[in-house]
Amino acid sequence: MSNFERLLNQGEFVVCGEMGPPQSADKAAIIRKCDYFRGVVDAVNLTDNQTAIVRMSSIMASVFVVEGGLEPIMQMTCRDRNRLALQSDILGAYAAGIENILCLTGDYQTFGNHPEAKGVFDLDSVQLIHTLREMNEGRFLSGDEIKAPPKMFIGGAANPFAEPLDLRIIRLGKKIRAGANFIQTQPVFDFVKFDKWIKAVRDEGYDQQVHIIAGVMPVKSVKALEYMRESVPGMSIADEYISRMKSAADPKEEGVAICVETIKRLHKTQGVKGVHIMPVLWESITPRIVEEAELLPRPILTSPHQEEVEVQ
Amino acid sequence: MSKLSEAIASFCEKYALLNKSAVVAENIVKKPVFGCQDCGQCVLSHDAFTCPMRCPKQIRNGPCGGTREKGFCEVYPDRRCIWWLINERSKKMGRQGKLRKYHIPVDRRLERTSAWLNMFAGRILPMDLGKELKEVELIKKDPPPMR
Repeated sequence: MSNFERLLNQGEFVVCGEMGPPQSADKAAIIRKCDYFRGVVDAVNLTDNQTAIVRMSSIMASVFVVEGGLEPIMQMTCRDRNRLALQSDILGAYAAGIENILCLTGDYQTFGNHPEAKGVFDLDSVQLIHTLREMNEGRFLSGDEIKAPPKMFIGGAANPFAEPLDLRIIRLGKKIRAGANFIQTQPVFDFVKFDKWIKAVRDEGYDQQVHIIAGVMPVKSVKALEYMRESVPGMSIADEYISRMKSAADPKEEGVAICVETIKRLHKTQGVKGVHIMPVLWESITPRIVEEAELLPRPILTSPHQEEVEVQ
Repeated sequence: MSKLSEAIASFCEKYALLNKSAVVAENIVKKPVFGCQDCGQCVLSHDAFTCPMRCPKQIRNGPCGGTREKGFCEVYPDRRCIWWLINERSKKMGRQGKLRKYHIPVDRRLERTSAWLNMFAGRILPMDLGKELKEVELIKKDPPPMR
């Protein structure tokens, strides 16, 4: 069982970080970034070619994060692999010590740096979650037996901000029934919509069946917020944050302040079991945010990987 | 499906001409009306007669997280998100409860075959015209004969 799973089961308010693997073969870059997260977060998401831009594979990046003494949440998209590749990668990942996985359908290939590529989409994210549960129970998707099955902690994503809200709640229920253990959301910049969503989740009782981990994102400038509002489909950003960032003397400080406030508010929200901090290209800010949000010290890691690192 | 429908399906599939005609007849109806993508395992009756395979990501358990404001598609901003349409139409038809159904991965062997014959043979879910969700077991797992 992963430490991340154990903490959630104990009822701790968890903190996840996020790291984008490099657009190069530079292993040292990942090991270096691990320093920002050690002792600060409980697990780190490793993105899988996010926005369809080619990067180091999330599996190998996750392996390096394990080496660096952290617990990875490996993201896996259905855009680049068919059901054979997905399943074989899951087996390999688990064998390499990766115990948390986040299942995503994936950004469409035309948004990335190889827009001429073929998107696979053999499965969708709900079917990938179902596949993982089957594999955990010792069966491939074909029904064939797995002698030594993986025991992955299965995650899915939810977007509380995009339409249609009612269907999104239905789909969340599908993900739970398919086998999701935790859910990570898009970054929260709109509490009107988020509160409405979490209330609907609570009304269905889903917050009791799955661990909901809300996303937050520190931003450096008002431009970043405006870009997200204009160009990232399915994002919602309240005017309040735009005007605050615009009028701030030091936008970076304001970005941190907004992020810390958001975390504190989410901490008090019923049904939210943790936060997922996703600073895009600004990983170094994570320790400061976690500290200011009064979430330090983190519960002590007890996974075997960590003990190995300490012995060395 | 019944013994009779299975017999019809296996008879039609035995003869290439009959098999082909079934595909053509189905295409004539479904292509212009529903934008059929020829997956051979029709879920129109579950999804308010709006084909989820028209989604750029072909999501059978949608929608993805990228639906734009007012329900437009992430990939093609001038088109409606298929799952937004499915939801709206299902609500109008009083069939939103059916959207709770989990749809299994597409069997790629059935692409460009007749969904009608596949349904008669019991390879795919039968048409479901009721308002409530109904769980059905598939009886046949083997694919149709080679095209």
